Amino acid sequence: MDVRRFLRNLLLAIVPVYAVWTLVTPAYTRVVIAGGRTLVRVAESPNVTRLLPAYQDPNYAWIDRLDFPPSRRRVSSFRVTDLHFHLVLLGALFLAVPGISWRERLAPLGWALLVAFGFHLVLVLFWVKFIYATQLGAWSAEHYGAFGRNFWGLGKHLLDLPVKLALPFALWAAFHVRRLLPRRPAAPE
Amino acid sequence: MPKPPAPSPTAPRPPWHRRPEVRFLAVFLALLAAGFALVAWNPVNDRVIEPFTAGIAVVSGATLDLIGQDVTMRGTVIRGPRFTVNIRNGCNGVEAMLIFLAAVLAFPAPWKARAIGLALGVVAIQAVNLVRVVALFLTGAYLPDLFDASHTVVWQSVVILAAVLLWILWADRLAVPRRRAAEDAA
Repeated sequence: MDVRRFLRNLLLAIVPVYAVWTLVTPAYTRVVIAGGRTLVRVAESPNVTRLLPAYQDPNYAWIDRLDFPPSRRRVSSFRVTDLHFHLVLLGALFLAVPGISWRERLAPLGWALLVAFGFHLVLVLFWVKFIYATQLGAWSAEHYGAFGRNFWGLGKHLLDLPVKLALPFALWAAFHVRRLLPRRPAAPE
Repeated sequence: MPKPPAPSPTAPRPPWHRRPEVRFLAVFLALLAAGFALVAWNPVNDRVIEPFTAGIAVVSGATLDLIGQDVTMRGTVIRGPRFTVNIRNGCNGVEAMLIFLAAVLAFPAPWKARAIGLALGVVAIQAVNLVRVVALFLTGAYLPDLFDASHTVVWQSVVILAAVLLWILWADRLAVPRRRAAEDAA
């Protein structure tokens, strides 16, 4: 891989990719909230969680519990854009690979975005469960044991920081690291 | 004891030999998981990561003093007249360092090239992280409306991108010198 061209392409790609991410963020955030709500409902019984975009700031999601008294239903909120800002990095890395056709760039990017979308839904689930297990004081202690609190707490921490930050590079490496690996000698004829 | 027969050159090789990118990815993810599990472990966090983060806070505070910001330090907290920032896990560059370390160790390269890459990479990532902490403090002090977006979207991306670029440069320039020499000669 021509690294100079990769760096040039990366610099050229990052601003347009950031602009596209900014443009699609309101719609994508709503999709992530809706998908996350479905996943949370699959993981809980009875279905008492309502996850919805915050009307003051659509970058945030509200978590409501329908089994709580009306005055305490809104248990927490989190910023959904923090979950998917790494898409800027992912898009720029995939678009910067030099010396390949657009088809070879965009097809892996499409697969990577699909994996990232699945990751965002799982992260929403962990965010909600983390709040239930560790942030609601006596209610959390009553409904979640030590294992549950550690599982959802550590899981949310690992997914929300290291995995989220490493995912763009890991996905890029899955498709493109062979361009950097040493070539094997050709087999004798 | 008789030696086992040498594998035939035509014998089928395991998938990770035929697909070095699969091997790279598997080793990278395993090292990454091990690294993050290690730093999340309380004894390591308390005895290594927290003091390291405090050291970053001290260096960042000294840098802010140098550029004329009147700051005071308390643990990992940098307090100025206009803004106060607490350097926590996630702001210490450790995640970027672990991603870089896992990628360097997973890539097929001589150990000397790996050692040079790790030493230079860690210093460079920490230099970028220092710029990030100083820039974020100044953003919080003078452009507070931009602080949230800078903190998460901009600077986290910049630090991770720096680690990825450093690794790509290392892989291309140091880890595979013979291939480059051959390409340059061609």
